[in-house]
Amino acid sequence: MQRNESLWVEKYRPKKKEDIMGNEEAKELFVEWLKNKRHTKKAVLLYGPPGVGKTALVNAVANEFNYNVIEMNASDTRSEKAINLLAKPATSYTALDNFTKTKETKGNVLFLDEVDGIAGNEDRGGVNAIIKIVEKSLVPVIMAANNPEIDKLRPLKKVCLLIRFQQVRIPLVIALLQKICITENIKAEFEALERIAQNSRGDVRSAINDLQSLSEENHILTIQDTIILNSRNKDISMDDTLRGFFSAQSIAEASNLLRYSNVDYDEFILTVSDNLPKRYSNNEELSCAYDYVSQADVFRGRVGFENWHLLKYFYNSLAQAAAVNPNSYKPFTFITPPIKIITLFWTKSKRTILGNICNKIGVKCHVSQDKAKSEFVPFIKSMLDKKKAHPILAWFNFTAEEVNFLNEMKRF
Amino acid sequence: MGINEEPLMWVEKYRPKNLDEVIGLHDIVESLKAFMRNPKTMPHLMLTGVPGTGKTTIALAIAHELYGKNWRNFTLELNASDERGIDTVRDRIKDFSRYSRSGFGDIPFALIILDESDQMTGPAQTALRRIMEIGSRTSRFILICNQSSKIIEPIQSRCAIFRFSRVDRQAMKEHLQEIAKKEKVELQPEAAERIVEYSEGDLRHAINALQTAAAYKEGVVDEKTVSLVIGEASPIQVQKMIRKALYGDFMESRKTMYEIMGSYGFSGSEIIRQIQRELFKMSDITPEQKADLSNIIGEYDYRLTQGANSDIQLSALLAQFAKYGKDIEENYAAK
Repeated sequence: MQRNESLWVEKYRPKKKEDIMGNEEAKELFVEWLKNKRHTKKAVLLYGPPGVGKTALVNAVANEFNYNVIEMNASDTRSEKAINLLAKPATSYTALDNFTKTKETKGNVLFLDEVDGIAGNEDRGGVNAIIKIVEKSLVPVIMAANNPEIDKLRPLKKVCLLIRFQQVRIPLVIALLQKICITENIKAEFEALERIAQNSRGDVRSAINDLQSLSEENHILTIQDTIILNSRNKDISMDDTLRGFFSAQSIAEASNLLRYSNVDYDEFILTVSDNLPKRYSNNEELSCAYDYVSQADVFRGRVGFENWHLLKYFYNSLAQAAAVNPNSYKPFTFITPPIKIITLFWTKSKRTILGNICNKIGVKCHVSQDKAKSEFVPFIKSMLDKKKAHPILAWFNFTAEEVNFLNEMKRF
Repeated sequence: MGINEEPLMWVEKYRPKNLDEVIGLHDIVESLKAFMRNPKTMPHLMLTGVPGTGKTTIALAIAHELYGKNWRNFTLELNASDERGIDTVRDRIKDFSRYSRSGFGDIPFALIILDESDQMTGPAQTALRRIMEIGSRTSRFILICNQSSKIIEPIQSRCAIFRFSRVDRQAMKEHLQEIAKKEKVELQPEAAERIVEYSEGDLRHAINALQTAAAYKEGVVDEKTVSLVIGEASPIQVQKMIRKALYGDFMESRKTMYEIMGSYGFSGSEIIRQIQRELFKMSDITPEQKADLSNIIGEYDYRLTQGANSDIQLSALLAQFAKYGKDIEENYAAK
């Protein structure tokens, strides 16, 4: 079979709104607004994580209802001038448009993608220009953003209907990947697709990209193929950031680096923790550095998902860990991706079986799963060692698989 | 599988079914019986004390006393360390109170037993307090915890608090002998002594050890068997992790930690609890050193509740151990 040259994200771009996975409510709200509710709010702001179908929805719906989409996105500069240049004609000359319009097209929609990308200096007045356009516009204005909490966008939120997109649920992503696999004639293990979907965190676009690059070589995709996912997804900047971080000569240097790097800090702190013993071979220095990382983690806990202003303390503590003894730095190869993620991934099925066993014990003996694990499992295993078909097995209702697991398991 | 089926784990088989069968705990039982005579007066209860001292048993006995053999229909058992978050707790309580609203006979409420409630975070406890307020007309809560100090004040003030102390050694020995007699097993006095020693006042632990030992030899439990069982049941991986750290081999120690977390899925707080317990059993470390190390454990135990990644906190703890281990070695050299 001839392999298609094109990118799958393009090839499988949704044609109708039904092709977009998940976010049913958001889709409905948007269509309802475009068809009937435009008098309430002139513009709409679609917001949510990347790759969940915001842009795809706009294009699919426009396609379905025959609108022309005039699009600007983050790659274009968005100073007031630039916006006016493109947007003004598009939004005001409806008359002229009507003239050229055939039966099928309903006119233009203006689509500003990634509006949270409007940066302070270059895009001077950009937000105000958008608001003006929205107010005067005769055509629907649609915006999309990842993070609507940015201060600069606050004025926008007043003139827009906000529609929230959520991460696409993992089973839906898996289903989509399965569909693509069938079309592309790829034999994929379910676990492999599951892993790709989980790794994408509900970002359909990146999931499709991963699927394509992993199965490019041949038509078989196994769980083994997916193990490189983490290390590859993480852009080069992770390695660079690590190198800069561990070789930093001062706290200030490390802290500056962290401020300008765009690595995922949750993954970064895990990776720092993993690599710390390679950086500090002296236990005195190691324990000191770990103490800072531990404090950074405490700050991370306090930041949670709302107190983002506390993040600077997190960076500060982490930076201290980098500069415990600048003189002892020697280059080393980094441990990535985080051990925790790899370990948790490879041991998942083991943990699931043990979890089920402990759940059964917990229900029968009124203890938590943790207690069942530490205080019942070792004894039950000993009893089993003495008597293979001990009657308690039946009493607990253990399955054959679970009994087998108990027999085989290494003591902890 | 019938509910009345005879339990095969001895901890369940010999768990007292009502308050009269509970031995020891005389004061607690008497006050509770007063509530049972007029259940409408029963407040929310908090049962607090170290593990294996009868808190869950008392809670279940109350359920039996109130509702008889249909107790399960009117009792919701939750374990805070198993439930993912306060939302699941709230939902389950809501669902439960929907169909058991009216209680049973004269008893105008249903019973909600929340075990290990000190595992809940501060915000979750605040939410729980609200749930207790809303639900108090239709349900009574029995909160079970190891440390009442980890429970926020407003909840404590809404409960009658009962404190459980460690099971008395003599009482435990007698209880074990009684079980052995009913199971037609001869429990030798030295063996009983060894079990009591090992279980540190935790009756559940003691009974599990006894039952396991009884499976080894027909009709008799001797000290040798008990020692064997205890050795097998002790967390060797945790011991290995501590030793490697104290010998300064941080990398190996951390590898073991990831194995314990990964393969067995132990939570960070459970591992810390086991570190603390195993450390005190180690004979080659002086009491002063144990105290020092225990301070370190305490600090990281706290950070664990505040932080985001338990493996980072455990790694940091092991790094501290590795540093401290150097001092231990130097002590040896000095001797």
